[in-house]
Amino acid sequence: MKQSNIVRITADIMFPFIMIFGAYVVLHGHLTPGGGFQGGAVMASGVVLLLIAHCDKDIKTLIPTQILKNVETFGLLLFGLSALAAVILGSGFFTNWLVNTGLLFGTPVEYGPNPGYLNTGGVIPVMNIAVGLEVLAALSVIAVIMFRSTEPDCGGEEQ
Amino acid sequence: MIEVLQIIILIGLLLTAILAVLQTDLLHAAVTLGAFSFLLALEFYILQAPDVAIAEAGIGAALTTAIFIFAIRAVGRKEVTS
Amino acid sequence: MNRKNGITVCIIAIIAVVLIYAQSGISFGDPVYQDMDQYFLLNGQVQTGGNNICTDVVFDFRAFDTLGEATVLFTAVMGVIVIFRRLMKGEEYEAE
Repeated sequence: MKQSNIVRITADIMFPFIMIFGAYVVLHGHLTPGGGFQGGAVMASGVVLLLIAHCDKDIKTLIPTQILKNVETFGLLLFGLSALAAVILGSGFFTNWLVNTGLLFGTPVEYGPNPGYLNTGGVIPVMNIAVGLEVLAALSVIAVIMFRSTEPDCGGEEQ
Repeated sequence: MIEVLQIIILIGLLLTAILAVLQTDLLHAAVTLGAFSFLLALEFYILQAPDVAIAEAGIGAALTTAIFIFAIRAVGRKEVTS
Repeated sequence: MNRKNGITVCIIAIIAVVLIYAQSGISFGDPVYQDMDQYFLLNGQVQTGGNNICTDVVFDFRAFDTLGEATVLFTAVMGVIVIFRRLMKGEEYEAE
């Protein structure tokens, strides 16, 4: 079923804004409500919007599935490796080894309200980004594969 | 004031849930379930759980509806009553 | 109403009474055991450096649960690919 021009153009306009909002939720996960899973779900809903609006085109060129699978593997590996790095540095698994060190994401934080500094949180933003990439790629791959395996005749009339 | 809003949202939740069961057009039922998830996300936000609200809006209102639409596209839109 | 429906209605009524009785004894927003969440609220911001205590708990104090969740999502994708591989039309399914 071919979508109308209104649906397609609106989806094209909305897609970058949805992706930017999802990236904001992921990157500010340690400061504002949200986190890796929520931001990844928002970004995946943007991909699904593109998928529904452009069902008459070639999906394989529009959304490259193989790149998404690689991104998912990369996200899970980054999550596990950032946890294993604590073991290498001599403490327990999943220890927050970047906090209060002054390095990347390592600015110390006082107790109480603050305006929200992005360079805090230790290993939490790294894990946010890893889980965000993984959730984005996983839900997109699930949607794309279900879409491609259930198409009757794209462009034909449904009965 | 917030109690009135909560009562309206809870009545809307009941209405959309019953409507989703009673529809015979499956596409209408899927969209009604999307509205149910959206109202549920609003209720989570009022109860001061914005994390859960974002997750519910992303998963329930967008992705689940899309996957239902894919399934309906494959199996046909009308419910077969034997 | 036959016998089976009567039994069903009785079970539903008993469950409803038990649920309402259990709900009436708990005050909303005032949990009984508060040691752990008070610890998180007082020390979480300094120890993990993040303002959002939810994310601090999910990604630092309870990070093993998040690892399990990520693994579940990965397994779900693998299952979907395996199940739907034969249904994809015009799709070569060589090993990737």
